[in-house]
Amino acid sequence: MFTRVFAFASAAVVALVMAGAARADDVPPPNGDVILTVTGTVQSSDEALNREFDYESLSALGLDRIDTSTIWTDGVQTFEGVSLKSFIDSLGIEDGTLFATAINDYTVEIPVSDAVENGPIIAFVMNGERMTVRDKGPLWIIYPYDASSSYRTEVIYSRSIWQLDRIEVVE
Amino acid sequence: MPNKTYRRQRAGRTLVVLAGLLALASIAILTWNVTQEIEAQSTAQSDNVQWALSQTEVEFQEFNSRLRVGVNPAAVRQRFDVFYSRITTIRQAKVFEVLRADEAFEASLSQIETFLSDAVQLVDVDDIELTRNLPLLSGIAQDARPDVRGLSNAGLNLFAQQADAQRQTVTRTMTQLALALVALITALGLGVAYLVRLNGQISQREREQVQAATRINTIMNTSLDGVIVSDAKGRITGFNSAAEQIFGHIGQNVMGREIGKVIIPDHMVDAHNAGMERMRQGGEKRVVGKGRVQLEAKHADGSTFPVELAIQSATTDEGEIFIAFLRDVSQRVADELELIEARDKAIAGEKSRSDFLATMSHEIRTPLNGLLGNMSLLRDTPLSAKQDTFLRNMETSGRLLMSHVSDVLDIARYDSGKVSVRFEPLNISALLQDIVDNQSGMAAAQDTTLDWGWDGPAQHWINGDSERLQHILMNLIGNAVKFTKNGRVSITASWQDNQLHFVVEDTGIGIAPDLLERIFDDFTTGDTSYDRDVSGTGLGLGIVRRFVEALDGNITVESTQEDGSTFLVEVPATVAEPAAQETTVDAISLVGAPKRVLIVEDNEINRFVVRNMLIADGHDVTEAFDGQQGVDRAHGEKFDLILMDISMPVMDGRAATAKIRSGNGASAKTRIVALTANALANEQADFLANGMDAVLTKPLTKSALRAVMSGEAVVQNADQTQLLDIPHLTETRETVGADNFTPLLAKFDTELTAVSQWLSPGADLDEIAAFAHKTAGSASLFGATAVKKAFLSLEDSAKAGDKDSVDAMRPFVLGVCQDTRDALTQAVLINPA
Repeated sequence: MFTRVFAFASAAVVALVMAGAARADDVPPPNGDVILTVTGTVQSSDEALNREFDYESLSALGLDRIDTSTIWTDGVQTFEGVSLKSFIDSLGIEDGTLFATAINDYTVEIPVSDAVENGPIIAFVMNGERMTVRDKGPLWIIYPYDASSSYRTEVIYSRSIWQLDRIEVVE
Repeated sequence: MPNKTYRRQRAGRTLVVLAGLLALASIAILTWNVTQEIEAQSTAQSDNVQWALSQTEVEFQEFNSRLRVGVNPAAVRQRFDVFYSRITTIRQAKVFEVLRADEAFEASLSQIETFLSDAVQLVDVDDIELTRNLPLLSGIAQDARPDVRGLSNAGLNLFAQQADAQRQTVTRTMTQLALALVALITALGLGVAYLVRLNGQISQREREQVQAATRINTIMNTSLDGVIVSDAKGRITGFNSAAEQIFGHIGQNVMGREIGKVIIPDHMVDAHNAGMERMRQGGEKRVVGKGRVQLEAKHADGSTFPVELAIQSATTDEGEIFIAFLRDVSQRVADELELIEARDKAIAGEKSRSDFLATMSHEIRTPLNGLLGNMSLLRDTPLSAKQDTFLRNMETSGRLLMSHVSDVLDIARYDSGKVSVRFEPLNISALLQDIVDNQSGMAAAQDTTLDWGWDGPAQHWINGDSERLQHILMNLIGNAVKFTKNGRVSITASWQDNQLHFVVEDTGIGIAPDLLERIFDDFTTGDTSYDRDVSGTGLGLGIVRRFVEALDGNITVESTQEDGSTFLVEVPATVAEPAAQETTVDAISLVGAPKRVLIVEDNEINRFVVRNMLIADGHDVTEAFDGQQGVDRAHGEKFDLILMDISMPVMDGRAATAKIRSGNGASAKTRIVALTANALANEQADFLANGMDAVLTKPLTKSALRAVMSGEAVVQNADQTQLLDIPHLTETRETVGADNFTPLLAKFDTELTAVSQWLSPGADLDEIAAFAHKTAGSASLFGATAVKKAFLSLEDSAKAGDKDSVDAMRPFVLGVCQDTRDALTQAVLINPA
């Protein structure tokens, strides 16, 4: 399948560090509705993972912003959320795979190695508004597609899971 | 041809370059194409659209399946939201843009959106109402089901078409790729083919070059000549085996060395270097390209030897080179020297042989003269009839012997180059008549008729050498008479185109064919057994041939044995005015008044003969035995005539004459007559130049002696010095040519006339000296001996400033000038140019 889509829109990835990276222990238990559940095991500490995040606790990990066009939307959009790197760091994971599952049980595998500085974010705000399920919310893994052609591949598109609500960590 | 090859090569090169460029362009295009394809693949901008479409149906089913009683309203809401999100994505996402453009797809999508907007009314309510709305929701969902299905189907159709188009594009691209590859491979193939061909050509050329080099090397090393090659700086780059042999060097050792230090002799090195320098400056090439030159060369052992060489230059990639071919010519030069030496020796030998013959002839003639002279005297005594016969026989033999000796002497003189031709007016008719008269007795004795005549108009007077002509004709006619019995000898003369022709025809025994070829060679005689009387030295015709050649003439002979012979003589001559009538004949017979005569002669017999002849005529005779004695006698006594022999011991005739003339003796001005056997014209002229007044040739005859004795009047006029040296004058005329001679002579005449002007009394002495010197020079050219002598002493006096002497000489000089002019006029009259 060769669909030639040329995305020449200039992309800017602006990382807005709104708060210092917080440690997992420091994250308070969610008070609001749980939007993300993380399960799995951290091998280094052999500690079972079972964490739940609400908007507040996710935001506490630090907010990143990506301005980019996507193949699913029309024009350049502004996405805000926590960077996957910060998220992984907060879990104390160093490598392995994230099995990300959407509301409709669609699951993709995201290697932990994707979590890099200026890399993908777990977005929950698009164009300044929180995304609802109807807008592919509550969480959407967004890569900075415009920043590099290496983010404009089938694999990356398939990892850009929307309506995300669960992640299982397998190291 | 090389030009054509060059053009072809250039065309080939262009082709290869073009093919290469084409290949590069193809590669560039292909690279770009492939890059694009890779780009298209690596940056797939689409999600799995088909999956997303089918997911639409799945998510609709998920939602639909929740629409039943007892279900959790939140789950219904969630499933609805998921489906809603899906439809929103299809509506908004760029990847569905193409699908949305499809009418059927768009229709289905609009229907679904209508369903969604209806459903939202029923979903976005509280749980209780939602539960109540479920049947309604299920109902409209049921209605929307075909639309969801249609959306999927429309999408699938479209994707199938797109896939087709995509496949075609790919196929096309692949085809183009294949074609480009074919083209590239073809271009490369052509390139390779051309390179292979080129390689073949280069190999071929290399082979040819190797062959050519081998050939040239073979030629060089086989060459018998030494071959040396040098570069523009004179360093040796080639030295073949012949050169090694010639110069004694080993080729390898001299390679790269300067040629000047190897083969040029030390004394020529500077000249060689200068020559090389001159050529480097682009100057003249004096040896190169000038063909064969002979120079000296140096051998390895330092010796020098002559070589003949030719050098040529050629321009190569490394600059100008010089190729020299050399040959050792030592042997040839030595041979040449040897040959020259041999020739010189031969010439010297020839000369000594001639000298020997001349001397011997002279020595034989002297006693013979004695014999003949005595016989002449004997005839004047009373003789018996028998004695008279004996005497005649003796005289005949004596004259024959004399003629033989004269023949030998003539040949010797001719061969030693001493014969000169003297032209003077002569009467051919008279000459022929004399000879015929002379021979008629002999002819009559043989019962042979002898006659002569002119063929065509007669030309009696010509300028010719009468002595030679007489000799030639006498010999031929004498021979004809000698070899003809009971026959006829006829002589025909004719004149045509300044050529005198004589045909001497006889009906005698003829000449054998084998003899005919060498009839004019020396010592050729016929068969003497035919008649004892017919004999000779075999020199006669040899002399004839030489004399004819001396006269620039030609002689041929035709003969048939037993039938007779015909000799044809052709000699060039010029027409002459008839000479004044000679009246000397009478004078000769006269015996003049008694005179006092001094005979200077070493040979006793000759002295005796002459003395008796003179005494018989009544003269008073005094004798001297050698030159010195003659000078002494002449000094003390005044004689009327001195007869002077030339060859004498102590002092010869010439010296004696000069001494008598220069001394102030009693006989200083006496007429001196040379008495000689040397009958050559130029020798006689020499005698006259020595101060003698006349020449008597031995054997002396009474008539000749009487003629001299009676010539007293001439003697007095001739004074001390001969006016004109006729042979010298003749020689001058021959030297400058007749055309130039006349104006020159006229000029000299004018000079002589002008003497009275510059020699006038009171004239400047320096001017006189200058004029005298100049005129003396002219006089010497024309053999005007007396006037020359006079001018030279005039010049001496004038230079010495002796005015009295000049004045005293004036009348004498003017007189001599006038006499010389007269003599010249006469000489030219009788010797017209």
